[in-house]
Amino acid sequence: MWERTVDGRVLSFRLAGINNQNFIMQDRETGSWWQQVSGAAILGPLKGKQLVRVFHDELTFRAWSMEQPGGRVLHPAADTAWQRFSDNWEESTAKAPVRVHATLDQRLPAREVILGIELGGVAKAYPQKRVLAQAPLHDRIGGVPVVLLVGPDAKSVRGFASRVERQELEFIRPVDDSSGTVLDVATGSRWDFRGRAISGPLSGRQLTPVYVLKDYWFDWMTYHPGTGIYLLGRE
Amino acid sequence: MTISRRGAWAALLALAVLVLVMILVPGILIRPFAPQTGNDLAVAFLLRRWSPLVSLVAGLGALLLVRRIWQGSPRVLPRAAALLVTVLIGGGAWLARQDYFEWMFAPLPDARFVRIASVDFVQPGDMVLATTVQGDAVAYPVRQLAYHHLVEDAVGKVPIVATY
Repeated sequence: MWERTVDGRVLSFRLAGINNQNFIMQDRETGSWWQQVSGAAILGPLKGKQLVRVFHDELTFRAWSMEQPGGRVLHPAADTAWQRFSDNWEESTAKAPVRVHATLDQRLPAREVILGIELGGVAKAYPQKRVLAQAPLHDRIGGVPVVLLVGPDAKSVRGFASRVERQELEFIRPVDDSSGTVLDVATGSRWDFRGRAISGPLSGRQLTPVYVLKDYWFDWMTYHPGTGIYLLGRE
Repeated sequence: MTISRRGAWAALLALAVLVLVMILVPGILIRPFAPQTGNDLAVAFLLRRWSPLVSLVAGLGALLLVRRIWQGSPRVLPRAAALLVTVLIGGGAWLARQDYFEWMFAPLPDARFVRIASVDFVQPGDMVLATTVQGDAVAYPVRQLAYHHLVEDAVGKVPIVATY
């Protein structure tokens, strides 16, 4: 999700092609080509420009609508062709072939769905199934302590910097809990899937969200050369 | 302008080959499930950028050449053949103006939005891309994004494009 304003001019986009299985967008104003996954202009008059990312989540409709009861939802187009597309596009496209102009990193299958995070110039990929099996999952990326939380739907994932001011926090999931909340070990405060402490000594505090990109492994490694992979624990 | 009939034919066929190459090459280079190098993309970009103008000029030139060929030959077969080649060039000029990626992944020029209470087209477990800007919370269901791939919107008055 990208802001459409570049150097004070609002651009409008259309699809223009494919680059190693990632879409190319074209702005109507200059005809430049932009890479969908990176927001970078790769060809044309605006080559070298970079779109500003709009922070967003990928989560279930249930999880979102409980948090944002006053929100608005994109209405389907008049034609019904969208129903041909599965709501799990990535998983359902997993059998399609992968032919890219890059040496595939064999540590993961090319179409493994990963959750990618980039912080302080350091990139790391987390296989989605490991995150779902292990959350709350702690790590450190580019010097920042990070925790990945799974929502009460056991499907949505969010990333946060796991610290409040200078204090780093470690979270555990209470065994008897199905609300998707976690406890921090240091104070016993309870935190919800929004990264907000809802009870305990830290009540009212908010963790800083970290952008998480759901992607195929081959696509992520193409745009993040040198990326790390999280391969520990069960999946 | 004096040009031999043979010359007119040669020019007509050259225009047809030129338009064909300009249309086919980018279509082949940036087709789905093919690997692309930076060079492939640069070539495809150049051809896609110039093919609408070049094919239009080629089409107009073809019409002049057909006139010459018709004047030089009363026979049906050469006349029909020249006309057919011109129609092909015209088809190329039309194709150069098409965004064939949008034939499969349709654009959504006027996105409409509804409140959660009136949503009957998303299941609770379906994934959505969601953002909130200046208190304006919006969700784009993944199934719809997979069809359109791009949806333009303004969230909290900020112009954005949701991509998938």
